[in-house]
Amino acid sequence: METVLKVENLTKNFSGLVAVNNLSIEMEKHTIHALIGPNGSGKSTTINLITGFHKTTSGTVKYLGEEIQNRPIYEISRKGISRTFQNLKLFKSLTVLENLMVGGHAKTQQGIIDFIINPFKAKREEKQLKEKAEEILNTLGMYHLRNENIGNIAYGRQKVTELGRALMCDPSLLFLDEPAAGLNPTERAEFVSILLKVFDSGIDLFLIEHNMDVVMNISNKITVINFGTKIAEGSPDEIQHDPQVISAYLGDKYRTNTQAG
Amino acid sequence: MKENKKYIKILLIVAAAVVLLLLPRIISNSYYQMLINQTMINSIVVMGLNYITGMTGQMNMGTGGIYALGAYGMALLTTKTGASPWLGLLLAVVLGLIIGRGLGYPSLRISGIYLALTTIAFAEVVRLLLTNWVNFTGGAIGVQGIPKFSIFGFTLDTDDKYYYLLLVITVILAVIAKRIISSKWGRVFQSIKDNPDAAEACGVNIAQIKILAFTLAAIYGCIGGALYSCLMGYISSNTFNQDLSINYLIMMMLGGIGSVAGNILGAGLVTILPEMLRVLENYYWLIFSIIMLVFAVFMPYGLVSVPRKVMDLIGRRKRQQ
Repeated sequence: METVLKVENLTKNFSGLVAVNNLSIEMEKHTIHALIGPNGSGKSTTINLITGFHKTTSGTVKYLGEEIQNRPIYEISRKGISRTFQNLKLFKSLTVLENLMVGGHAKTQQGIIDFIINPFKAKREEKQLKEKAEEILNTLGMYHLRNENIGNIAYGRQKVTELGRALMCDPSLLFLDEPAAGLNPTERAEFVSILLKVFDSGIDLFLIEHNMDVVMNISNKITVINFGTKIAEGSPDEIQHDPQVISAYLGDKYRTNTQAG
Repeated sequence: MKENKKYIKILLIVAAAVVLLLLPRIISNSYYQMLINQTMINSIVVMGLNYITGMTGQMNMGTGGIYALGAYGMALLTTKTGASPWLGLLLAVVLGLIIGRGLGYPSLRISGIYLALTTIAFAEVVRLLLTNWVNFTGGAIGVQGIPKFSIFGFTLDTDDKYYYLLLVITVILAVIAKRIISSKWGRVFQSIKDNPDAAEACGVNIAQIKILAFTLAAIYGCIGGALYSCLMGYISSNTFNQDLSINYLIMMMLGGIGSVAGNILGAGLVTILPEMLRVLENYYWLIFSIIMLVFAVFMPYGLVSVPRKVMDLIGRRKRQQ
């Protein structure tokens, strides 16, 4: 199996507070990898470290064998790592379609001077970008909402829009920070089916999630962290039966299930 | 329906073009002609400011400084070396490129009120330099005898004639502005205003884009300044004070942020209205300020939002009936 992402001895201190402590994660190609743990265990910090939003204190992050820690955010993104955010970060003065088109901006070729003197090329490029965004909206089932202002659509739809925007960068690895949080059960089921569709199109997923039904159903491998340290790693089945994980995070419900089963 | 709309649009553009071309014939008063020329120059500067403050959301209160450098670049080049004003225009573009980069760099580290203060400081430094470097800039006395443009030996010596050159330049710059605003550039500018983190996560190099927006603003501002020099024939440093920078901000907000039509409307209103109110003598500035305040409170999205609001109101009435 080829390793896509290799995190080695990653540590992050926030002036005395150790948020992530000597964490190593290895992610293989064509997997859905989940990172779970109690609140404040350093999950979001880990994603922020990998995607360049925080500077690491020590440790390395390798993407396809290349060290990417402490690189600028946009460079990491251009290498094929996309992400969504825990609290939505959308462009509120733009429409749904335009939000997606910003996602594809970095992939466009034309510079500003060429843009000014060559309107035909500009038009062609704009059309391509728009078609790509519309295609993605179509697969996400949001084509009919394309011209709505982003603030006027439901929260669940906004989450899907953010996913769409991330897909516009043609990622090969997608980080999702609590994709199902705040969604009702119907929306959650819909989102999971979209995620599986994205995964089938050849994009590896790395997700943080608190909804155990989501995590246990779709992920191939789970890493559990607590206080910034890895306490367990394995398949969903192994994790559900790990006594340390049960006491730290999953709770007694899983213990009784295990004993009964 | 769609066809009809297209015809109406073409008709409006043709009508506007005819009016604009015949304007110097309609207006016989040379003072009004000068005001209209000034309006066009202000429109150019406001369209520039719109890139950085309107679209990208980086508070720039140093427009006066940019404008001053453009104006002095033109004035000093033409009077000291006897070069053609066309070269002065080219110099304005080069100056704009340099200022845009220089002013853009602070915006990568600071934002909001701190950036506003930095840009004010920039404008003040420029003004003080121009005032106190007497040997080079003429100090408070200013620069006199700035030549007029000439095309193929035909000198644009009156405001009527200069009007046509300004019209051509304004239209070209407005078309470029319109295209930039409604393209991937406009979108990415707005994305930085809305959420810089998310924009960067999309692979956008926001440092580069911010500098681009600043550079565009500075180029437009310097071109405006250079054209102003030639309009007046005489400039002095106390024209380029902080009030000027604030005035450009008022024009942009009054007209409507993010819209070229709004920029031009705002520039026109703020340039021409005070002159119309001069009949009120001592009270004209008070009344003008009150009018501006009322506009700001009741039309936060500027003059360009009025037609849409009216349409919305009519639509609501119809639905209620």
